[in-house]
Formats: sequence, structure tokens, C-alpha cells
Amino acid sequence: MGNEATYEQLKQSIVDQDEDAVLEAVNKALAEGVDPRDVINNGLLPGLNVIGEQFECEDIFLPELMQAALAFQAAMTVLEPKIKEAGGAEQKKGTIVIGTVKGDLHSIGKNILKLLFETSGFEVHDLGIDVDLFKFIDKANEVNADIIAISALLTTTLIGQRDVIDALKDQGTRDKYKVIVGGGATTKEWADSIGADGWSGSAYDAVVLAGKLVS
Amino acid sequence: MHMKHVELLTAKQVERVHEAALWVLENVGILAHHAPAREVFKAHGCSVDLDGLVKFPPEVVAKYLQICPTSFTFHGRDPQYDRTIPDCGPVVVTGSSAPNVVDPATGVERRATSTDIANIAHLINELKGFDIFSISTLADDAPPGQFSLSRFYPALKNCLKPVRSNTPDMDDLRQVIRLGELIAGGADAYRERPVINHHYCPMVSPLTMDVDSTEAVMYLTERGLPVYTTVVPNAGLTSPMTLMGTLIVGNAEFLAITVFQQMVREGTPIIYASLPTVADMRTGAYAPGAIETGMLCMAQAQLGHFYNVPTGGYIGLTNAHSNDAQSGYETGMNTLGAVLAGATLLNMGGLFSSLMAFDFGKAVVDDEIALMNKRVVRGLEFSEDNLALEVIAQAGPGGDFMKSKHTKSLMKTTALFPKVADRGMRAQWEAAGRPDAQSRARAVARGILSQPNSAVWAPELDAQIRAEFPGLIAGEATWVEAEGDA
Repeated sequence: MGNEATYEQLKQSIVDQDEDAVLEAVNKALAEGVDPRDVINNGLLPGLNVIGEQFECEDIFLPELMQAALAFQAAMTVLEPKIKEAGGAEQKKGTIVIGTVKGDLHSIGKNILKLLFETSGFEVHDLGIDVDLFKFIDKANEVNADIIAISALLTTTLIGQRDVIDALKDQGTRDKYKVIVGGGATTKEWADSIGADGWSGSAYDAVVLAGKLVS
Repeated sequence: MHMKHVELLTAKQVERVHEAALWVLENVGILAHHAPAREVFKAHGCSVDLDGLVKFPPEVVAKYLQICPTSFTFHGRDPQYDRTIPDCGPVVVTGSSAPNVVDPATGVERRATSTDIANIAHLINELKGFDIFSISTLADDAPPGQFSLSRFYPALKNCLKPVRSNTPDMDDLRQVIRLGELIAGGADAYRERPVINHHYCPMVSPLTMDVDSTEAVMYLTERGLPVYTTVVPNAGLTSPMTLMGTLIVGNAEFLAITVFQQMVREGTPIIYASLPTVADMRTGAYAPGAIETGMLCMAQAQLGHFYNVPTGGYIGLTNAHSNDAQSGYETGMNTLGAVLAGATLLNMGGLFSSLMAFDFGKAVVDDEIALMNKRVVRGLEFSEDNLALEVIAQAGPGGDFMKSKHTKSLMKTTALFPKVADRGMRAQWEAAGRPDAQSRARAVARGILSQPNSAVWAPELDAQIRAEFPGLIAGEATWVEAEGDA
């Protein structure tokens, strides 16, 4: 060991939600010869755990959670190439295709979730807004996705979520993917009624849900 | 005589907000996704780049703003229920398009159906505080291809007041207009008295125009059919984390869509309608019941007066999940603020959980809140007669006013008689089994809905409509008694 001070600095920089400090700490750690995987597992992730706990008890607010996640993502753009160079495999929890249903241009909730998915180790393919149901299915097929995540804010376009599930059934590929739904217009009952594999009322809980679905 | 309005901004500050919105439109611009809309902007003096970013020279905004009509009329099946704002204000509207309903028999929230819409239409037709029925829920039982028809048909069939709602696509819109023409007795008659009042949210904050709703607004505006829009900035997420910044984003969006409608058809009536919120930044939660929504609505009413256009919007919504204290204070405080500031359109009634579920008891309580607000706007009724000096002299020191003819002649009109609020003694309330406001409100709803609905149209018209749209849902109000309610 002997890297405790370095790990502490990495962790603290995430807790401080300070992207510059995170990058500085990451570069310093790499210069000291710390394995990039240890930078993540012993420094950055413990920081994110603290952030998660603070968010859950409302010590920090959503924009702070987002800033910590963005800082983590910035660190990963430095660390991922190093891990690959060293021949290490990326540790990927799963692959998710995400988008907002046809007819709906609302993106903020989806974007928050996308960031949290990525921060939690998922590979995310974002189809954006106003997404046709076959785009969801084609992309999921193309990237061999584990999960299709569909957002809807407008109640009048909500049925777009059911359409994706029905189309998967029609094609006989429903069992290939876990389909999760969310967004301001959705409820758990709605998710159950359309045969979704999961629903969550918040982006934070959705990450936990996705983790369970792929494990 | 209108009462004096409450103003949160000075006249100078209002002008600055206007200038700031013009600056946004000229320098930041609006992203228009609908290609024909881009062409409209381009043909009328805006610059549009290849990505659809529209920039508005201030003189273009001024030109089209000044030709906006100063009023907007909603038509009902029965002309006695037509309402024009601002003169008839405050005009009270139900909240709309919730996917769920609290089942009147079981009290359990479930997906709403066309039968629920028929029952709600019947209730709103009878509740005096409501002026317009904005179709409160979706219809989960809609046959394929009749998503909107399954909402508009039961609504219009069971309500003589103006009906208002939206459609998700052009097929649905054309179908709904055809329904309106059948009701009116032909396309020309419908143009004279369009009994469907369309509403859309084509502006997606920040500063973006969508495709589907923009297309619908353009289609209706071209044909001179009534349509108005709502802008929905959400501070901290889709607009700045200040109330002023949010006001400016919303104002820029209002100006953009208003100018657009005037470019499509000059003299199109519009409403400055909004649903401004401040996100609860602890979690990002949507908070339409927040007091800041009321404050922003008040400021927008001031801007509406500055532009001389009617104002209002979704005000008096609640985040509460039952008819509790939160539901009451969020709806009550925000709507009162809005009417004090001169807003004349209140989309307030009947919904819980930030527009997710309709509740019959909530609609009755909101009716009472609406009547209270209307009483406020009626005002103190200043007149020499109303000073009642003679009556004061007659009674004299230590006298009483109860026996005077003056009291008898005015006792039924001076004050509002609430149906839900309990003014009895505690002992009476305890003897009655301690009923709370929700159970009293449900009793009012039950009283109305257990009666036949006289608003339903003639069987001949119904047969004609059903022949035109095979497979249509029944659309009949059928009230199911809750156990223990009878």
C-alpha cells in the first residue's frame, strides 16, 4: 500500500465536486505510478459512495451530485486509455440503450440518468429525444444491449413506452432485453401494466434498479 | 370597476424584462425543429440558420406583437357558457391529461377511462366555479386509432361548457375537428362557433419549438380555429436559478410563439399562458405547487397587462397525493396570488400528484376555491349605497342589523356560501362522525353524479357521430356508488 494519502486526495476531490482537483489528483497518482484501476477503485469510487450517501440524506442537492459525476467522467477519459494500454479489460456492468419516446422532446431527466449510468460503469447509447420505437429496437440489437431505458414526460405520448414493449413481443425478442421505463408521466403501476421489467421514480434509484437487472 | 392589481414589479422593471426577452430572441434565438415553421419565420423577417436557429430582430417582434387581439373567447356547446378573457375573468379551467384517476368507488388510483371522462364532464358541467372543461384524464380504454376521440367524445357529450384539450398527432387532430363539425352541424357552422378549444405546449424550455405541437398550432392558426399555447420554464433545470431569469426565458418563449402565430395568421387571438416552476433542487423534483409558481404567474400577469393580452395558465396545481392540507394551501395560495395580480385564466382543478391523477373530491374543493377567488375579484363593491350610512344610523349604538330589511335583501348575495367548508359547532361535527373536507367534497360530487345528466345531446346527433366513427366508446356518465357511500 503506501498510497493512502493519494487515495484520500482522489476521494476528497470527488467529494468536493471539483473537476480540476480530480484531474490534478488523477494525474499526480498516475505520475506516482499508481495503477489506474486502483485510482478508480480505491480513490474515485469511495468518493462517489460518499456523494451518494450525502445526496440520499439531502446534505447535497442534485446539481452537486451531477457535478461530482461529471468530474468522475472527466477522470475516466484520462484513465480508460491507460487501462486499455496496460491490456486491462474495461469493467462494464452492462449495456444500456436510452432515449425519450416519440413525440416528446424533454431530455433533462434522461440526461441525468445517462450520466449516472455511465458513472456507475454502464455503457450507454443515447438515442436522444423524439425516438421512434424501431430506433430503440434496432440500436439494442446492434449493440447487443442488456437494457432498453425509455423516458416520457408528456402523458399523451406515454403509450410510446408500451409500443416498444409490444413491438419487441411481436418480433419475438422481448426476452432478449430488460425494458425499464421512467419519467414524469410514469408510475410503477403503469410500468407493471405494460409489462416493463422495472420502473424508478428517480435517476438515482434507476441506477440501483439497472444494477439488479443485470446481476 | 376593476380592483387594483397587486404588482410585484415596478413599471420600469417590467420594461426591462421585455427588453431582456427581446435581447434573448435577437442574440440567443429559438431552435425550431419543424421545417415549415422555419419557413414562416424566414418569410417574415427572422434569420434562420441551417440548424433551425431562429433570431428575431426587435422590430419584427414589435410589428407582430402590436397586432395581437386583446381578448380570447372560449366557445361552449351552449352559448350561455361562452367565456371571453380578460373580461369574464377569472375563468376557471380543470387541470388536464392526467393518466390516472382516483377510483370513486374504491379510492384506489388506477388508469383513467372514457367513462371517467364522461363522469368528470358531468361533474364540471354542474359545478358553478368551473367555466371550462379541459379534459382531465386520458382514456386507457381507447380503441386503436381513437386515442383523442375517446377523450373528446365523452367530454363534449356530457358538458355544455367549453371543452379544451390537445392531440398528440395530426390524424387525431383532424378526427377531433370532424367530431366538432358534426356537433356544430357542418364545417361552416363549426367555424362560426368552434366548440373545441385547442391547447398545446409547442415551446419546450429552454427556447426550443417542437415538431408535433408546432404543426398542430400552425394548422389550427391557418384555419382560424381557436388555439393557444403555454410556456413551461422550470428554474434550475430548463431556465436560470433565479425567478427573474425564469421570467425572461418564459417571456422570450411567449413572444416567439405569439409572433409565430401572428405571422401564420394576423390577428389570431392568443393568451399569455404559462406554467412556470422552480425545480426542487434537493432531488430535481417537479414542483408545480410551489409558491414560486404563483409568484411567477403574478409577474406574468403584469407582463400581460404591459402587452395588453389576457394572461394566466396552470396555476393552483399541487404536488399533494391526497385532498389534504398541502393540496389546499398549494391550490389556494397560488390561485389567490394570481387573481390578485390580474391573471384571468386559471387551469387549477381536480388533479393530485403534479398532474398525474384526477380526484372527484379535489375537483369539488377546487370549485370552492375558485368561487372564493371569484368572490375576491367581485371586490368590496364600493358604492354610496353600500356604505349603508342610513342603516348604521337606524340601528344606532348597541342596536343590531339582523332584523333590518337591508340585511334581508342582501344576505344571500354579499357573502359566498361554501358547500365544503364546515361552519357548524364542534359538537355537531362530532355527532356527524367527524367528516373531513374530503368526505364532504365527495358527498357533493356524489349528489351531482347520482342525478341524470341533462347536458347529454340528442340521440339523433349521437347516432350520426357513432355512424361516422365505428367502434367508438360509449361515453356515458355512469356513476358507481362506493361501498358505504349510499
